[in-house]
Order: sequence, then C-alpha cells, then structure tokens
Amino acid sequence: MLIEKAALPASGRVTSLRPKLPPRLLRGALRLRRVGTVGLVLYALALGAVLGLASANWATRGRYPFGGVVLNAWTAWPKIGSRDADPYVRAIHARTGEIPLALGEGLLLTALTDDAGRRLDPSCRYRIAGATPPARAWTLTVERRGQAKHAAQAGAVPPPRTGFTSTEVLRDRDGRFSVIVSPTVQPGNWLPMPEGEGSIRLVLRLYDTPVAASTGVLEREGVPSITREDCP
Amino acid sequence: MTPLGRFILATLCGLVLAGLVHVATVLAIPYLAAGDAMARARATLANDTSVLVHAAEAGGPAEQAPAQPAEGWLPPQDPAVAVGVCAYDLDDGPVRITAETGPLIETIALHGRSGAYYAITDQAAVRGTVELVIMTRRQFDEALATADEDERNRDMRIVAPSRQGFVSVRVLAGLPSQQAQANEAARSVSCTIDGPDE
Repeated sequence: MLIEKAALPASGRVTSLRPKLPPRLLRGALRLRRVGTVGLVLYALALGAVLGLASANWATRGRYPFGGVVLNAWTAWPKIGSRDADPYVRAIHARTGEIPLALGEGLLLTALTDDAGRRLDPSCRYRIAGATPPARAWTLTVERRGQAKHAAQAGAVPPPRTGFTSTEVLRDRDGRFSVIVSPTVQPGNWLPMPEGEGSIRLVLRLYDTPVAASTGVLEREGVPSITREDCP
Repeated sequence: MTPLGRFILATLCGLVLAGLVHVATVLAIPYLAAGDAMARARATLANDTSVLVHAAEAGGPAEQAPAQPAEGWLPPQDPAVAVGVCAYDLDDGPVRITAETGPLIETIALHGRSGAYYAITDQAAVRGTVELVIMTRRQFDEALATADEDERNRDMRIVAPSRQGFVSVRVLAGLPSQQAQANEAARSVSCTIDGPDE
C-alpha cells in the first residue's frame, strides 16, 4: 500500500513528462510501474483481508445485527434459539458461549431506544409502563456494556437491583405496571441505572409464552412503552 | 490504463475480496470456536447431574450468592434465572433426562450443534417430574422394534439431530428468597445413560 502511494504520483508525472526525461529516469519509472503492479495486488489482498476480518469481527461482537421483529422501541428475537437462526446469530453464540432461549422456552426482547426513537441515555429517567405481556412470567432487566469490567475495576458495591420479575413488580389496580429506570432513587418500582461506560440496553424476557410461536400476539396486545421523563 | 484507474480497480478487487472473507469468516466461526456453549458444556460430560453455570442473583447484595460457580462463562444473563447444563453423547446409548419440578417455573431445552431443537416447560410434568429420553434415529427405531406390545411405554422420546449436544435448564426465581431453591433445581437435573433395555 505504501509502495503504491509512492509509485502513483511518480509514474503519473513520468507518463506526462516522458519526452523531456533522460533515459535513466525512464527506466526508473518503468521499474516503479512494475513494482506498482505487485504493490497493487498486495494492496488488494491486504485490503480484502483486513476489511473482511474486521467487519466480520464487528458484526459478531455481541449484539444481533438483524433478524429481529421490531415492535415500537422493542425488538423481539424469536429465531435466535431455533435451528433456522441466521449465520450471524450462530457466530455470536459461538463467540460468547451464549445459551439462547429456545422457541418453546420464551422470547427475548431488547430495546436500545425509547418510544420516540432516541437512544437510551444513562443520565435520564425513563418510565417503562404497560400491560403485562402474555406470558407465565417475565423479567425486565437493564444492561450496560462494559458493566462487568467496571464493577471488577472499581470493586464497587453491586447495584441494589438489576431487574424486576413479574412476581415482585408492584402493580396498580388494573394489573398494569410501571417501572422507572433512573440513576437516582425513585418511589415505586425503581430500577437503578447501571454504572459504567457503554450504552444502555433494556431486556425483556418472556418465559413460557404463547408469543414465542408468533409475535403477532405481541403486536396485538402491545409491548411496554418506554418514555423519557426528564434529563438533567 | 492510467495509474488512478489501476488503483481504483485494485480497490474494487479488494472490496470484493473483503466481502468474500467476511462471509467465509462468519460461516467458519461456529466451527472454529473453542469457547462456545457446546465446547464448554462438554467438560461436564462425566457428570450424572446438571452443572450450574449461572446462579440466580436478583436483588443484589441482599443475599450473597454462595461462590459463583467456576463454570461461569455465560455472557450477562437474566439475574433472576439459574441456568444449568448437562452434556450428552448418544454414542453410549440413549440419554434419560429427569427433572423434579417444584413451584418455580422451569424450562428445559435440548441443544445440538445447530441450535436448540426441542424445549419443554415444567407444565408438561407428570406427577412433578419431567422425563425425556434423547436418542438417535437408529436407537429410536431399535426401541420401537424391540418394544413389548403388551407394555405401554410412557417415555417421551426425542430424536436428536446429532449425537452430541447438551441440555440446558433454566429455573426462574420470582423472588430473591427463591434463589437458593432455583439454583438447587438447576443443579439437580439428572442426565444418565439409559439402560440396555431401552
């Protein structure tokens, strides 16, 4: 690649100025040109290898690139545990060692944004509210990239809570619930915003749910809403 | 061709090559990975019961989980769920999975090389026990052929797509006080090689 960069302007100038150049320089230019061909081939090979490997690494780092069913802010992943999972999902599982939720076990839903489409901001307060999804049980957790590393480094006290289960969440008279994710203490169902650096992700897992077979049920019944309440 | 043209051509070739390398790499990763769930679960092949790989620990420091198991290789999991695994190899005969279900929600999934191929929850338990027999197609045919016609066989038989795989058990602790029970349940699923009469 370096060779090519050096060769390019030289050969370009040489071709245009050829009549005025002494033969010694001409020979040099021809040699440069030959090196240039080899250099170009090497450059193409290197480009292919580096870009290919880097993009493969990036695409299989941990979060599923595609194949989800989008429901408002949430994305459902019904296929990750089944045998027709796409190659990216398989590669991710192979790299992380994940044991995915199988189709008959439950359904995984993740959210990276709020209902308005803005990315979840760790310093804001969010309200996750709605009716209980059709499932025997569900859990709602908040995750942050690099959280484990942060905890190991700081040796800090673990957060008082990382998630809610359908058993322990407080509900109103109609059976609806409302969880508040916030860095500061809140009344009601408070889910502390995790410490760390990376981006925030909300994870809703439905266990033993009829939804797993078809996400149409979720479309009809609705998923919990994620509303940004206030930001400092 | 002008040098610039040659350079552009080389770049295009490089990009096409990059696409090929990308696809080949993504497809090859599952076959080359040494740290996937399958490979990690293989280490537990000799055990007769499942091994806890993720302890339920919802509720933070209120109840310190008694020493996170050494096999904690899973990425961040549901903190309220205890996960146990148990590897099997059908070369030695059909494998019988027996799980005593309790009051907690429990799901059992069977995973092969290509992902999960079967899952069942504790709602299918008969008198508090979920019992499955995993067998290859050949073992299944054999069992059918040698079956006694007068005797009804109540085993739930599942034909596995490959000889090697693992069973995962998830037990949900709805409340922090149920965590110990959930961990115990995830640890106590038995997976034994079935007798020759099967």
